[in-house]
Amino acid sequence: MNNCLKVLRAERDWSQAALAERLNVSRQTVNAIETGKYDPSLPLAFKIARLFERQIEDIFIPDSNLEKV
Amino acid sequence: MKQSEIMVRYLREFVLAVIAYVIAIVAANFLLPYYPLYRSPWAIPISLLPIIPVIFILRGIVKLLLNSDELQQRIQLLAIGFAAGMTGLLTFSYGFLENIGMPRFSAIWVLPLMVVLWGIGLAYFSRRYQ
Repeated sequence: MNNCLKVLRAERDWSQAALAERLNVSRQTVNAIETGKYDPSLPLAFKIARLFERQIEDIFIPDSNLEKV
Repeated sequence: MKQSEIMVRYLREFVLAVIAYVIAIVAANFLLPYYPLYRSPWAIPISLLPIIPVIFILRGIVKLLLNSDELQQRIQLLAIGFAAGMTGLLTFSYGFLENIGMPRFSAIWVLPLMVVLWGIGLAYFSRRYQ
């Protein structure tokens, strides 16, 4: 799953640590989500979407093979 | 509570428990010569004295896991699963070697072995998400 979390974070000039604090997760978790190494749970994805005032699907983009399903 | 605060609280409790463990070891070793098992049933609780702080360490680890975020819990699950599986495999394998005359393996080494393997597992699985 791809996402534009890094862009959204950069727009607000937040560091990974600052975003992690807002989401109450570790900085490693923010980094793993940004780099696509970890897909967040639905509750965390909603929390991220609420924080950036977007829809989940505006932030998280499924892989192309998933779109065909 | 913030993730960093959770870790600080855990480390504080861990350090206190380790200090208590060292005190308990020293106290048990000091008292045991006066209460040998063949003369006093007190030898059993005295020799188990260091287990009390170990229980507090385990309690701290459980609290840390419960309060960690979802990725940390996933990494810990993988690391603990690796440690449990490898400890079982190694001690089980060594049991067969004991059958052919290798020296007896004291059960006291099972927990340290598991902790070392847990650390190795943590380092390995943590790297996968960096």
